[in-house]
Amino acid sequence: MSVVVVGAGLAGLTAAVDLARAGVEVTVLEARDRVGGRTHGIEVAPGRWVDAGAAYLGDRHTELLALIDESGLKTVPTELVGDSRFALGTASDGTRAGRFPPLDAVALGGMFDLLADLTATVRVDAPWLTPGAAELDALTAADWAEQHLTHPDARLFFPLFLGEMMAADPAAISVLHLAFYLRSGGGIRYLNAFEGGAQQDRVAGGAHQLCERLAERLGGRVRLSDPVHAIDQDAAGVTVHSASGATRAEAVVVALPPLLADALAYRPASTARRSSGRTARGCAIKVQLVYPEPYWRAQGLSGWSVNAEGPLLSTVDDTPPGGGPGVLTGFVTGAEAHRFAALTPERQRAEAVAQAGRLFPQLPPPTACHLTDWVNEQYSSGCYAALLGPGDWTELGPRLATPQQRVHWAGTETSTEFFGLMEGAVRSGHRVAAELLAPRQVPYQF
Amino acid sequence: MSVDTVMVVFGRVLETDGITPDSDFFALGGDSLIATRVLSAVARESGVELSFEDFLAAPTPESLAKKIAGAAG
Repeated sequence: MSVVVVGAGLAGLTAAVDLARAGVEVTVLEARDRVGGRTHGIEVAPGRWVDAGAAYLGDRHTELLALIDESGLKTVPTELVGDSRFALGTASDGTRAGRFPPLDAVALGGMFDLLADLTATVRVDAPWLTPGAAELDALTAADWAEQHLTHPDARLFFPLFLGEMMAADPAAISVLHLAFYLRSGGGIRYLNAFEGGAQQDRVAGGAHQLCERLAERLGGRVRLSDPVHAIDQDAAGVTVHSASGATRAEAVVVALPPLLADALAYRPASTARRSSGRTARGCAIKVQLVYPEPYWRAQGLSGWSVNAEGPLLSTVDDTPPGGGPGVLTGFVTGAEAHRFAALTPERQRAEAVAQAGRLFPQLPPPTACHLTDWVNEQYSSGCYAALLGPGDWTELGPRLATPQQRVHWAGTETSTEFFGLMEGAVRSGHRVAAELLAPRQVPYQF
Repeated sequence: MSVDTVMVVFGRVLETDGITPDSDFFALGGDSLIATRVLSAVARESGVELSFEDFLAAPTPESLAKKIAGAAG
């Protein structure tokens, strides 16, 4: 068998390695001049890397942990030692122990109760079959908040929570997607937690190494800087048209986010779309400020902050272990990401540096400022993952992962387990490879 | 609110069985986020609104029930 894999992110490369191991003739076509997709490393000092893209994992991310182990890599715990900073526009702003914001605990608890109830009702393996799916899919998360959240503190915190959790503006996603995402990732507590949750660990030396190690195993079968623009399928096979020419195979795996996958031309044209005009890009911009050392630690601060005003809606200490520079990572998410993305690089840097200085007093100017705008990244179309808007799950859900004859799909958006996370990507890669290796039940029809 | 009722609330938000009167919420995997769900349940069922700091000082069903009784009294 021969298979072309489009996209050298975690999903595509996981699939390609599984297929190659089974004796399939595999070619991986990657648009960028690097592998990694939505993982990307930045070397902030010699041998010291930070994750400009996907970074975190927890112990339920079993397929990712297996891949880390298999790749000869290690994890490092995400350390959050010290007090947090809050700038939420309340009387109790400032420094506080722990991660809990200075907001009304009873009001936030009521909000999390409502979200837990929503999460409990969703059919995670097939969200479109959830009881009342049509109603839940018709409403945006912003509509839902308007109807259900009465306390001002809950209304203030809800978009910040969604921004951090899923890089979403509440107006962009349906309630069904919100409930699905929370359930898929293991529930509100697991998704939100550092220790004992989805942010417990990072890959030592950077998550980008995972794809590099996978690509090493594939050697010359990975072709970089070779963007695909069209896929033809016929009774005998597929022809994948890319910058370097046409590649013929028996099947193709499109391991791209749905918005990018839909930007390709498919012939015959009957290939159904897997995104709609309401499907939005995940809105995340990561800002990494590099300092000679993590000064905030000496002041008893963890580097964690939550802020009602942008650009940095939250910050976290991303200092690579083992000494060297201190790194403060800021997350610009949701609607704020669109505003920030439109600024000039100078203005972006000035706003981020000024805000970090207000949050962490006595911070000297950074020695470097790295800004990764995933929203406008040509070959990602958003990050962490596609945001399914009103109507999307009921209309597109059933075909997100369903092969269309010789065209198969992978990517974290095709995984109902840990959707939007690295774990979902790896699981989708294994799933699609197994799908191709299984004996065909239904003959192709052309 | 009785110790038993608080134990039920702990079990529900922690999604676990075997809560005893001296079970520490945070030792059982509880964190600040789901602690707020305990506080919202306490407010709903007893009318007493406690702060997150109150809960940190009384993180077991027994001590929390005592705190609620004190606040209500």
